[in-house]
Amino acid sequence: MDFDKPVRSQAAVAGSFLQMAGRGQIRTNNSALIAMIADEDTVTGFLMAGVGNVDLRRKTNYLIVDSKTTVKAIEDAFKEFTSREDIAVVLISQYIANMIRFLVDSYSKPVPAILEIPSKDHPYDPAHDSVLSRVRYLFSAESVASGRR
Amino acid sequence: MEEDDRCSSSNPGGIGQEEEDEDGKVLRFLDSLDTYLTLLDSLSSTLRQGWFEVASARHSMGSSRISSVLLDQKVQSAATTFQVRKSIHGSPSESCPSFAISKWASSRDGKCSFGELEVSHVRKTSKNSELRHRGSSNFYDTTEEHDLTINASSSISDSNVHQERSKSLSVFGTLVSPRLRAAQVSFETALDAIVEIANIRSSMLSAFTQLQQQMKEKDLS
Repeated sequence: MDFDKPVRSQAAVAGSFLQMAGRGQIRTNNSALIAMIADEDTVTGFLMAGVGNVDLRRKTNYLIVDSKTTVKAIEDAFKEFTSREDIAVVLISQYIANMIRFLVDSYSKPVPAILEIPSKDHPYDPAHDSVLSRVRYLFSAESVASGRR
Repeated sequence: MEEDDRCSSSNPGGIGQEEEDEDGKVLRFLDSLDTYLTLLDSLSSTLRQGWFEVASARHSMGSSRISSVLLDQKVQSAATTFQVRKSIHGSPSESCPSFAISKWASSRDGKCSFGELEVSHVRKTSKNSELRHRGSSNFYDTTEEHDLTINASSSISDSNVHQERSKSLSVFGTLVSPRLRAAQVSFETALDAIVEIANIRSSMLSAFTQLQQQMKEKDLS
């Protein structure tokens, strides 16, 4: 998976969507983690629910994003969590996903699943959801017109 | 145009069947899309409740007592984990991941306590059945017997769950606000919604793939 390659066309986006849907390898796992890239209150809340994990190398399964967190740090965390085999789901606040939108939209593996969630100050916007933005292609004028031919 | 007419007259059932299959796939896709949006809305409400309770707890306990600085950096395993399995929608080539949650697994036992997972599943099923069979006394007797059996097996897992919950809150001090405990429950509920969202997302992607493939086949033909 090359995160640096730009997605050039809708066809390429749809292609990555197909790969995401079923053709990629699905790693089964009986004890996988949930990773979080979110603000302090969201991460604290989920850690209270028992999802926190710190391994022997002191690596955590979460990144708390505040005003001092750089975009590079968010990108690195996203790449790390999506490449780990012990993570099943990556939760990312939608406003943080917007900061690394290109990276999130380029992601095409079925596992870990990327879920965009709202935050305290930024409600969920379906228009920005990476999964729903691909789905809109199905309802675009182009796809409707091709169906009529 | 004439060829189409000839095709439709010679094989009207075949084209009708294809359209029905396509309609079925479109319906499945739209259903999963609707469920996805509904679940996200429900998750937003649950998270809002959780944030409010955290803010209330912070107000009563003090900002310094509920802070990310206190989060434990010691080596620890997650008490709540996910299971990822392959589930097949339609043809074997259309496998997609299916997610399940195991809450408050006992790290000392070294195995997941599925007691709570199974109990929550059976409780959900019995609740659904109650809605369908409201007023039937025989059914309620059966439900009560079922509940007694479940209660016996869940008492041990309940105490483990209580221990794990207390351990999780211990980073914030020995005595914590009831609001913080309520926040913990809200975020646990949010995790349930997240599992459902992950599964419906998987189903939606699978339905989308099937539709895309069908549209491609139509374009090629």
